[in-house]
Amino acid sequence: MLSTLNPVALLTATLATLALVASIFVGSRNLANFDAALVPYLFGCIFACFGVAYRYSVWLQRPPTWRYFVRGWQLLFSGRALVHGWELIKSFAVDFVGQRFIRNRGRVRGIGHMLMAGGCILAFGVTFPLVFGWIHFGLRPGGIDTYELYTFGFKTMEFPLHGWFAELIFNALNWAAILVIAGVVLLIRRRLTHAGQIAIQTFEGDWLPLLLLLAISVTGLGITLDYRFMRGEAHQFMAITHAITVILFLVWLPFGKFYHIIQRPAQLGVAVYRRAGTDGPQAVCPHTGEPFTSKMHTDDLKHVTKQLGFDYTLAGGSSHLDLSPQGKRAALAKAHLAARQESGAFFG
Amino acid sequence: MATLPIPAGQIIADFGPHKNYPPPEGFPGRNEPDAVVETHCCFCGMQCGIKLLVKDNRVVGFEPWEEFPYNQGRLCPKGVQRYLQNNHPDRLLHPVERVEGSGFRRIDWDRAMERTVSEIQRIQSQYGRDAFAMLSGVSLTNEKGYLAGKFARVALKTKNLDYNGRLCMVSAGAGNKKAFGLDRASNDFSDLAHAEVVMICGSNVSETFPTLIHWIWQARDNGAKLVVVDPRLTPVARTADLHLPIRPGRDSALYGAILHQLVKNDWLDHDFIDNHTSGVEAAVEAVENYDLDWAENVTGIPRKKIMLAAEWWGKAATSFLLHARGIEHHTKGVENVSSCINLVLATGRIGKPYCGYATITGQGNGQGGREHGHKCDQLPGNRDIENPEHRRYISDVWGIEERDLPGKGLTAYELIEAIHRGEIKGLLSICFNPVVSLPNNNFVREALEKLEFYVNIDFFLSETARHADIVLAGSLQEEEEGTVTTSEGRVVRIRQAVTPPGEARTDTEILLEIARRLGAGKHFSFNNSEEIFNELRVASKGGTADYFGITYEKIEQNMGVFWPCPSLDHPGTPRLWEDRKFKTPDGRAHFVPVPYHDPMEITDAEYPVILTTGRVVSQYLSGTQTRRIGKLVDQYPEPLLEIHPALAAKYGIANREIVRLVSRRGTAEFPAQLVETIREDTVFVPYHWAGAQSINQLTSGHLDPVSKIPEFKVSAVRLEPTGRRAPVPVQDPIQATGGSPAHPGPKPPQPHAFTGIGK
Amino acid sequence: MTDTQFKQDQEFFMDPQRCIGCHACEMACAECETNGQIPMIHVDYVDRYTTVQTSVQVCMHCEDPTCAKVCPADAITRDEFGVVHTAKTDRCIACANCVMACPFGVPKKIETTQLMMKCNLCYDRTSAGRKPMCATVCPSGALWYGTREKMRELRPNSTPVNHFQFGMQSVKTKVNIMMPKGATKLVVD
Repeated sequence: MLSTLNPVALLTATLATLALVASIFVGSRNLANFDAALVPYLFGCIFACFGVAYRYSVWLQRPPTWRYFVRGWQLLFSGRALVHGWELIKSFAVDFVGQRFIRNRGRVRGIGHMLMAGGCILAFGVTFPLVFGWIHFGLRPGGIDTYELYTFGFKTMEFPLHGWFAELIFNALNWAAILVIAGVVLLIRRRLTHAGQIAIQTFEGDWLPLLLLLAISVTGLGITLDYRFMRGEAHQFMAITHAITVILFLVWLPFGKFYHIIQRPAQLGVAVYRRAGTDGPQAVCPHTGEPFTSKMHTDDLKHVTKQLGFDYTLAGGSSHLDLSPQGKRAALAKAHLAARQESGAFFG
Repeated sequence: MATLPIPAGQIIADFGPHKNYPPPEGFPGRNEPDAVVETHCCFCGMQCGIKLLVKDNRVVGFEPWEEFPYNQGRLCPKGVQRYLQNNHPDRLLHPVERVEGSGFRRIDWDRAMERTVSEIQRIQSQYGRDAFAMLSGVSLTNEKGYLAGKFARVALKTKNLDYNGRLCMVSAGAGNKKAFGLDRASNDFSDLAHAEVVMICGSNVSETFPTLIHWIWQARDNGAKLVVVDPRLTPVARTADLHLPIRPGRDSALYGAILHQLVKNDWLDHDFIDNHTSGVEAAVEAVENYDLDWAENVTGIPRKKIMLAAEWWGKAATSFLLHARGIEHHTKGVENVSSCINLVLATGRIGKPYCGYATITGQGNGQGGREHGHKCDQLPGNRDIENPEHRRYISDVWGIEERDLPGKGLTAYELIEAIHRGEIKGLLSICFNPVVSLPNNNFVREALEKLEFYVNIDFFLSETARHADIVLAGSLQEEEEGTVTTSEGRVVRIRQAVTPPGEARTDTEILLEIARRLGAGKHFSFNNSEEIFNELRVASKGGTADYFGITYEKIEQNMGVFWPCPSLDHPGTPRLWEDRKFKTPDGRAHFVPVPYHDPMEITDAEYPVILTTGRVVSQYLSGTQTRRIGKLVDQYPEPLLEIHPALAAKYGIANREIVRLVSRRGTAEFPAQLVETIREDTVFVPYHWAGAQSINQLTSGHLDPVSKIPEFKVSAVRLEPTGRRAPVPVQDPIQATGGSPAHPGPKPPQPHAFTGIGK
Repeated sequence: MTDTQFKQDQEFFMDPQRCIGCHACEMACAECETNGQIPMIHVDYVDRYTTVQTSVQVCMHCEDPTCAKVCPADAITRDEFGVVHTAKTDRCIACANCVMACPFGVPKKIETTQLMMKCNLCYDRTSAGRKPMCATVCPSGALWYGTREKMRELRPNSTPVNHFQFGMQSVKTKVNIMMPKGATKLVVD
């Protein structure tokens, strides 16, 4: 068991986890501002941190990923940092914030994902700092109508208890839950009706994440509803089920579909890589006579495939990977034609 | 009448052709259709089985029909996309009327009918009955074809009815009747499977009948040798054992020379010739000088190749000869067909397993449509309109006096010429787009402009319908019940999957209504297609194309029945002539002597290059339907001039350079496509396009004296390079490309771009 | 995917020399539910100037798929039936490594959706015990799906081969290519 563990990843994950714990101690002023009711969540977070860091590290060590990772940083700090930085910002705005590429996959799908992602990010933004004790709220001493917000123990702002800002911030998790539920409903509907999705979806890969998000949101909303309309009679139940679902989410984060949240920023690196590729020399397909990708890309791929144990070097010293996809298809068809011709019969 | 009411561009904006694409995730309801309808593709003569998916009275998709014996689920791209002609934005949903200066406006059915009938009556009383003509087409079912024949003779009482089969298989029909006394493929295509030699004469099967390829390849898997005669190296010819790149218009010289070799080497079936044929002496005498040197000189094919073809054909034990428009679209189309049949008869390889001969019928119902009185000289059951006995029989079936039955009328192109001369003043047309499909089509357009009244029945406003005074919104193939007869002679069922949308009506309803209003109601009291078919069965009884024993129920149970089928307990006849009882007067198969003639137009100093025309796989005939289906258009978006690099070099023509093509009839410009797969003396342009892109502006109206088919396949032209480079056709950016290249950088126009796929 | 009816005795066979370049497969592929009107199969002229030969290419479903190995995002997986699936939509970062590394030139990158897509052997159909769309409609038998026994009967003088040699690299695939009898591999060099 131990021998299958990745030592670099183990080290990275341990360091990351220690760093998180340290930041919690520092941020919460030695746990002075720590909310004891959130301890189960804290342990979930620490586990998730370890798991995510471990997996991220293992992932980065894969040759193609490492190549992109290194290239990404190289390019960002190359002589063309401005161009590449701008590409990064553009990609962040369009692909990350705007999620245009998901909307292009389908309108309802895009809206559903946007709602869900918006809700989740809002919820993360509130939950993590609270759980880590990085922020806390308090009444301004000497009054009952003004609240103060402390970040890392420093007072950052104050606001009236019954103002719109207070409403907004104290109900943030409810808003998040509503967004997530709306998004999940849209996506579940699609999973129930779209024949293509029905054919390839799996429970663990596609349904469980949706159901888990739904459970977190419904129980979270339940706490508020119970408090507002049921005088807190079901508080115990709601609080426990909510905690269980959230902790499940955290524990599962490094393994399941939610890991894509961590992984997705790699797309920004790819955007920079492609920009640099477009600006640089092109690979021209010997078959079609046309450029088809950047020279950097084919060179990197030749290197990476070798690291992975593939060797597409041809007899003449060139590489099969010098061909464009169309060129490769033509090469295969020609080789097949030659083999058939040599045998003396096309058919049979 | 007159020229177009408004410029063509404005008509196109309203009525198309527009490209129809399915939505990105398919039409809604495709997964849970209301009905899955087993029917047939509306396009070529193969009539492949296909299942249409129907939701809310719309065709929303298709499924392969793997149980249907001919194609077993296989389809070509037109078949896959055929469902998109339904649900089409260009669809005519109500009758329209021409308004000078503003185009076509909606009118109600009653007004449309009233005007149509009063104009028919006016023209016929003023100029005589035959001054009102009818043109029809063989994409129509047997029922509609039969109805059109009866309608013209009994309701319109005109002799001038002809059909677009005149551009299709009439040469084959005439050749078959001369030889066998009957016009049908002699075998079903499963007889290809173990033929030792398959000879394909003038057919780009790979693009025009893709599903037939399966049977040819199967023959080759079983060891058959494939011989393909074609001026171009087509996909079916590419891997052929022998490709004979013939000079266009010289076909009968090749087959004459082969017959010469069969005789010389005694590769003959004397027993068959002596006992079952007649006329062999004259046929042999006609080719006695056609030796290999002469043949090489005339056809442009090396003598060794001709000899090899003769030897393979001569020595084979089993064989199958297929031909199509490549040898039929000629002023000697019938002779070409006869010269092929002579090879079959000389070797006696017919009416036996794996011994076959067939013309590959082109149009959807090209077979059935040419049997039941659709033609100017024909009555149902492939009877002769000039034969008194045949006239009496049909008059009895129809309940009219024999003297009231009109005689033989003009053929399609002659009919257009008569309109041009002012002899015919009124026209009703259905299922025919002559402005695109007839040769010398500027002349055709002029003729249509001279009509006093023209009514057109169609589901889209075709290029021809733009010249009509009234267009009646008719029905698509999937909107009516009926039958068609495939290229093999198999009668199959067409199902009504949906009803016509909007106010559109079925073609049958429209014809019946006009007949009633013309006062012929008692002869047209049909309640449904099956009643029409049942009358057709009786009308065909005793004729050579005998359908009497075929019923809807029998077709459905057997997935088709082969005619002749003279009685209800008869199983049908997939393979003809097993009994050696030919339908000629003497009961023998007839050799026909075929002395060689040059085509009507031969090249000279002024017009030094041969032009030949044909089809591409993604388009069907005049493109009325297929130029409206997005992906089919994108696959081959514009007509290209195929030219050999050696010929191009003479004129300094570069790839994709626009070349002006000039013939004695007209001029048109096409982008050049330099290919080594065509003869150096020949250029090729496909004919599916209209207006300035129509190659039929250049082709000639020279007709075969017997079949009256125009000589589409040979014209003399000259080439004038323009020095301009053709722009790359614009395609729908999302729909057409599917995937885009990973590399977003600048990309020069690709030579392979017209496949429509990015990578 | 859990209650699949995938028929493991059925195999895919391709023979590019039978291809007539009609594009029926491509049109039919676009009708497949899993890829929403985008065809996953490739049909191209090899070199139209000299020949009408066309290449036709489905995913060969490699036993050790280069595409999956070069994917930096672990987006490509191979299932228990040997089907190499299209990129997972949540993982794929549209780097096009797979597009450029696949020795058969199969994966396609869709720019608008920032997604690689490829043939998944019509998983919606094959997992329900049916034939892939392309092999059902192909009029020439260039694409064929069925049992090995049936194929042997239909084309007695050809041998299905699933071994390719690209220079130094040997690649084994789930999909077969029909070769002259006795051949053991197709060498592309």
